Amino acid sequence: MENENFQNEIAIDEIGYMARFIDTEFTIFERMKLKKSTIFRIFGALIIYSLTMISFAIFL
Amino acid sequence: MLELIPLVIVLAFLFETMDSCAGMGFGTGLTPLLFILGYEPLQVVPILLISEAITGFTAGFFHQEFENAKFKLKKPINKETRVMLNIAIFGCLAIIISVFLTYYAIKVDKTIIQTYVAILVLAMGLIAIIKLKYKSTTYKPKLLTFFSAIAGFNKGIGAGGYGPVVMLGQIFSGIYEKTATAIVSVAEGIVSVAGVAAFVLVPVISSQPIEIDFILLPSIFTGGFIAAMISPFMVRVLPNKIWKIVIPTYALAIGIYVLIKLYI
Repeated sequence: MENENFQNEIAIDEIGYMARFIDTEFTIFERMKLKKSTIFRIFGALIIYSLTMISFAIFL
Repeated sequence: MLELIPLVIVLAFLFETMDSCAGMGFGTGLTPLLFILGYEPLQVVPILLISEAITGFTAGFFHQEFENAKFKLKKPINKETRVMLNIAIFGCLAIIISVFLTYYAIKVDKTIIQTYVAILVLAMGLIAIIKLKYKSTTYKPKLLTFFSAIAGFNKGIGAGGYGPVVMLGQIFSGIYEKTATAIVSVAEGIVSVAGVAAFVLVPVISSQPIEIDFILLPSIFTGGFIAAMISPFMVRVLPNKIWKIVIPTYALAIGIYVLIKLYI
């Protein structure tokens, strides 16, 4: 069991492990689903975009 | 008054979409088009660097959010972060040298070196297409360092082509295409910050200030920022076999585009 966990940790540390895992385990439609936290972060990014544009309007 | 130029927004959006999806093409593709539209180098080059710095980190953040790559800044850093830093360090050194060369107007025969970069990108694109049949997933760090150094050298002598060489270099080194794209996005963000710093500091050190025109910044930022949010999602959703074809094909197109621009 411990050895298996150790092997899993090594695999997770491999480059591209997560992307490869998501690619093989989920269908395109499943990959399209957004988590709630991701939606919040997208809104956060849009707020940052708006604030940056306002500062451009003021300073440029 | 904030001036937004629709054509520039669309161009920035298209090239940043491809840059964040395929890891290349923002600078190489957009710069000559903006020159054709009549903008001057000081209106284009620093603005593209500022924009690329912001969009690189934005795309990197969303690549992480959509799990195309996992970056870890706390020690011990993971392999993906180490690869990204490896690429970024060569890029930072190169861009500082490049700004010095440009600023002090050191003459380098641009046609010869750009031809060399275009042929290199074409050859790498072709090899990547030929290698599609073979499965290679073993990570080769030495090969990656070699390609990072080559890409840095190209950028340092002002020939561009940093994105394609680093991107295809990662694929040749056995890195998964989706993750390679995420790594290049963040590395290009860091390199662009170094570029902006060099652009600001070199004139200050030599006490010959330059005037940067910011007219294009809101438009390029708008197109680039939206693309940097959408592209990582596209990378996650579309299967990797599509990116395996799109990336080398786009590199081939960039190589041909540079050659056409130089000789026709």
